[in-house]
Amino acid sequence: MKKIATPEYDLKDKLKAHASALATAAKEVVAPLSITTQYPRERRKWPDCFRGYILFDPERCISCFECSFVCPANAIWMKEAKSGRYYPTLDYGKCIFCHFCVDSCPGGALKSTKIHDVSYTNMDEMFTDTEEMIEPPEIIREDEGYVEYVIDRDDLTLKRTKGQDNLIVDVAPSQGVPMVSVCVDRGSCIACKVCEKVCESGAVSSSLDEAKMVIRMAIDSEVCTGCGLCVKECSMQILRLVRK
Amino acid sequence: MIEMSELMEMVKINELMNIIVNNEGIMSHQMDVPLLQPLIEPMLELPVINNLIAFLLWESFFVLILIPGFAVLGILLLILPWIERKMVGRMQWRVGPREISPRTRGIIQLLADSLRFLFQEVIIHKDAHKRYFLQFPFLYFIPVLLPLLFINAGAAGSPLVPIVSDYGLQLMVALICLMPVFILGLGWASNNRFAFIGTIREAFLYFAYEIPFIVAVFAMVVMYGTSGSVGVVDAQAGGWWGIIQNPIAALTFFIAALMATARLPFDIPEADQEVSFGPFVEYSGIAFGLAYVMGYEKMYVLSALMTMLFLGGGSGPVIPGLGEISYLIWFVLKTLIVMIVMVNLRGVYPRYRLDQGMKIGWNAMLILALIAVAWSSIYAYITGVGL
Repeated sequence: MKKIATPEYDLKDKLKAHASALATAAKEVVAPLSITTQYPRERRKWPDCFRGYILFDPERCISCFECSFVCPANAIWMKEAKSGRYYPTLDYGKCIFCHFCVDSCPGGALKSTKIHDVSYTNMDEMFTDTEEMIEPPEIIREDEGYVEYVIDRDDLTLKRTKGQDNLIVDVAPSQGVPMVSVCVDRGSCIACKVCEKVCESGAVSSSLDEAKMVIRMAIDSEVCTGCGLCVKECSMQILRLVRK
Repeated sequence: MIEMSELMEMVKINELMNIIVNNEGIMSHQMDVPLLQPLIEPMLELPVINNLIAFLLWESFFVLILIPGFAVLGILLLILPWIERKMVGRMQWRVGPREISPRTRGIIQLLADSLRFLFQEVIIHKDAHKRYFLQFPFLYFIPVLLPLLFINAGAAGSPLVPIVSDYGLQLMVALICLMPVFILGLGWASNNRFAFIGTIREAFLYFAYEIPFIVAVFAMVVMYGTSGSVGVVDAQAGGWWGIIQNPIAALTFFIAALMATARLPFDIPEADQEVSFGPFVEYSGIAFGLAYVMGYEKMYVLSALMTMLFLGGGSGPVIPGLGEISYLIWFVLKTLIVMIVMVNLRGVYPRYRLDQGMKIGWNAMLILALIAVAWSSIYAYITGVGL
């Protein structure tokens, strides 16, 4: 067993400690640092990767259904637009803000923002249509500024910085890896044409070979967006996604 | 034709109306303010107002009621808790009171607090001794306000003291030592376990600081060779303040004042986290408001005494045009500085335990006080002061 004795201080050390404590207090009175955030007027700066309201960019959407597949809360439903393509709709009554959809989107069509305190009047309003997801909701800014505490690397002091928080962060959307769908076993194709029906971009075409009385499927790798829908739907499971 | 009796009546009324202006004792002790003199002189010619002006500018009245007496005490009671909270907040990286009147940085916080106290219900629980419970917070004002009668706020050669007495210091010390009795009384009347523990702690601490306190004042009496408040300030003429003449007595007095006002690091009787404001735990409403300012009142009196004993009273460079008021301004400034140092110690030190506080009182402080007496005795023996 190790016994720890109380440290012994002589009078000189004690006086020195008293003087140092009083000097520190006097210094803080003259030039203090505050770590209080004046809450309604100031807020802490939210991190740029904050998982809040989700914005949608239809230009980048390849209608791959990936967001809908990955959603653990089943909050994303694909809805057919007038153009015949399918776009996500989001039910914020179910959404758990895990942002798996944002992470999984191959084209970078979904984007997270720092908007997190949206108010609704009823549950039906929380179901957000595709059109409503394109533009951010109306924002009334109560926070006059944000406060952030940065540790100075040189002398390890806390510094208080101020500014106005930008709720919609300009993050370059992920470009993804360009993929293309290819058939790996043409002999097994039963020409059910599911891939042609399912393809949103019209990359899959079928042609009837009169001589051999067979239907030949073809995938135009230039048009193919690599969404992988045909790969999921192929009944013979002979389609694969490969890098372009 | 005016009859004789009517004439006599008029003379009598005239005498009554000029009762103060004709009083030699009052008129020879008027505040000397050169800047206001052109304003005051025509006013002294007016029939009724001249009495009022003369009474207001009577030194004893002016010093006791206005500066540095009750008026300044009242203003300081409103501002000092704000200063304390603001400065301690800065020390602890907080903001302090701010939400009430943010433009003035929350300076009217205590005014708002006292308004709230005023409209709160005063609850007297059924086990409390109702009469004492309500009386003691008010009776406490007697020992707090009476010492102000003997405070000398002037400088050497021009004393400004309400009552000139050769026993001023003894009377002040006696009244200051009376204060804890009222706290013990209201703690007992509360009939609450926390109030009881706080009262016992107050009693223990009372004995611990009282003797060094009295001995430290005694050391200064020996040093100056007088115990009258006029002589005490006169003995510090020429910048030889008491704190330079006998720093050990000043230190002892300061620590004893901290203990007496139950400020950190000696807020043992009131320790919020342990006995939740100790003797005052049962008070609510305006009674709590009175209990809350008690400590500050006591601190004001002790700081004023410290300024008079050790910081040369109101001595300082005369501000042109203000005459004797400049001494009062210096006196209030010095008192305020002492008070600010006292309140800010709560941002620096943690609380001592009761046994540690007792040990400091009975060991270190008593020894320091005795050394101070020895120092003063040697000084008095060499210089022959007061012999």
